[in-house]
Amino acid sequence: METKLHPGEERPLASDRVTPTRPESPQPPGDPNRDRPPLFNRQQIEGWIQDGLALLLCFPLLMVVFFMVVAAFTPNRALNRGQLFSAFTLDNFQVAFQSANFGLLYWNTTLYTFGVLIAQWVAVTLAAFALTRLRFRGREPLFYLIFLQLFLPPVALILPNFFLLQRIHLSNTLIGLGLPYIASATGIFLLRQGFKSIPSEFDDAAYVDGATPLQVLWYVHLPMIKPYLAAFSVVSLVYHWNEFLWPLIATSSASKRVLSVGLASFTRSAESGAEWGLIAAGTVLVASPLILLFLFFQDFFVKSFSQSGLKG
Amino acid sequence: MIRQQSNAWATAAWMLAPTLFFLVVFTYGPGLYNIASSLPGFPRLFSNPANRNLVGVTLSYMMLVVPGSVLLGLGSALLVDGRTPARVMARAVLFHPVLLPPVAFAAVWLYLLNPVSSPIQPVLRWIMGGQGNILGSSTTALVAVALIGILKQFGLYMLYFLAGLQGIPVELKDAAAMDGANRWQIFWRVVLPLLGPTMFFVGTVALLDGIKSVDHIFVLTKGGPSDATNILLYRIFVLGFEYYDVPQAAALTTVLLTVLTLIALLTMPKLEKRVHYYGD
Repeated sequence: METKLHPGEERPLASDRVTPTRPESPQPPGDPNRDRPPLFNRQQIEGWIQDGLALLLCFPLLMVVFFMVVAAFTPNRALNRGQLFSAFTLDNFQVAFQSANFGLLYWNTTLYTFGVLIAQWVAVTLAAFALTRLRFRGREPLFYLIFLQLFLPPVALILPNFFLLQRIHLSNTLIGLGLPYIASATGIFLLRQGFKSIPSEFDDAAYVDGATPLQVLWYVHLPMIKPYLAAFSVVSLVYHWNEFLWPLIATSSASKRVLSVGLASFTRSAESGAEWGLIAAGTVLVASPLILLFLFFQDFFVKSFSQSGLKG
Repeated sequence: MIRQQSNAWATAAWMLAPTLFFLVVFTYGPGLYNIASSLPGFPRLFSNPANRNLVGVTLSYMMLVVPGSVLLGLGSALLVDGRTPARVMARAVLFHPVLLPPVAFAAVWLYLLNPVSSPIQPVLRWIMGGQGNILGSSTTALVAVALIGILKQFGLYMLYFLAGLQGIPVELKDAAAMDGANRWQIFWRVVLPLLGPTMFFVGTVALLDGIKSVDHIFVLTKGGPSDATNILLYRIFVLGFEYYDVPQAAALTTVLLTVLTLIALLTMPKLEKRVHYYGD
């Protein structure tokens, strides 16, 4: 295989340089370069094939994004006739801004997302610190109580939690919307990875100097677990920014609506007279903030979500 | 550490108080309350003919989504493992649906799958024949909804598998290669067995994700056509918040909580190592 791809009279290339494969050119007999090592070894070729397959796998997903973005800028009439590349317009966005108060949707979603996150920071950091750094009776059962919550997500409890919010007069409020998420087993286990990585000598030294546990957490540990806190923040923000089912149930008035619920109302109204332009524009508006952030902070997003997989 | 031992209990108590408070008030309290009060709903839950397909549809959906997303996650992780520019880019593209609101991702597919003005109409007709109305027929609707669920989520499992792959010592693969093993053999005999724990973890996460992710059904099919995509959690929503049949919805919530607890009991012993604290 490699000898076939060996182009006879080419000068040698740096092995780490990516070069396209060349059409085969049979070596003339008696070529003095014949015993030179092949330019492309088997591993390199397999690597390129792998690269190619990886890109091929991306193609359908890229097409989906492409169609949606193009549709968002195509007049609705053309879309209904299936003509995607006929004309350019911004009307769809204008209609979207008329159909829903996007300013309010962004504001509510931001308020909800960051409100939950700030409350989670406090609860999760304290709990993870106590579970990893303090020895006390009852630690094991508590550990399992929190562990079990990983399997009982708030969406499974939409029915009883809805009635609970009504009873405590917090239904249809953004605060009520966030309450079921403040105790976060995901966050606690993610942060524990951080706390576990800190040698106990740090604590001992601080305690000898007369520090309280809270001071140890604040001055010694917090600076060191910041990357873990950041990773958790990304995962939490993405989840709540995109959330749909619980906000749909827990909030009823338009003034408390979040982005996903607003977008879903577009798709519902579309059934009567297919408003594909509106749906496409709405989708672009709802999806773009996180996608733009992802484009700029790719590595950080990828690392954060990898970490949520709880390394052993 | 020694000096604060005496009041460690008090410190731990107040530090854990916020988490425990919200855990009890918004998870265990409502869960137990629901289980205790749901008994009257069960007779109707079982007799209601509209629930007859529920188990079959939910199981079919899960059997497509869980293996589908785990295998696609593993396959793409194997493909994008490495540091070449193409693979780093592919990683980002394959992962990006995880960041999209499920409702938005579903809205894109609602447009792509509508038989009247879809830009990929020829493809739809080629798959379906006739009008190409994939979401309008029971079998294809379920498969389509499952596929969209898979595409939304597999990128996350890809990242978990990538982390697992990076945990496999290169020396092991090199040694196998030295012994004359080809790529295929190295994958089956070295990589896959060592990915076992990751596989178990991802499988459990995929199972839970499959049960709790129903947002795309709201946009794509609303449980139809003729209940073909009406899976468990979506059915709870319909019963509780569209028909206002609270006893039935509560009974079904109890079923869901039982299933989730069973999954927890079966997987916790194996997952424990992944999260447990080995002492300080």
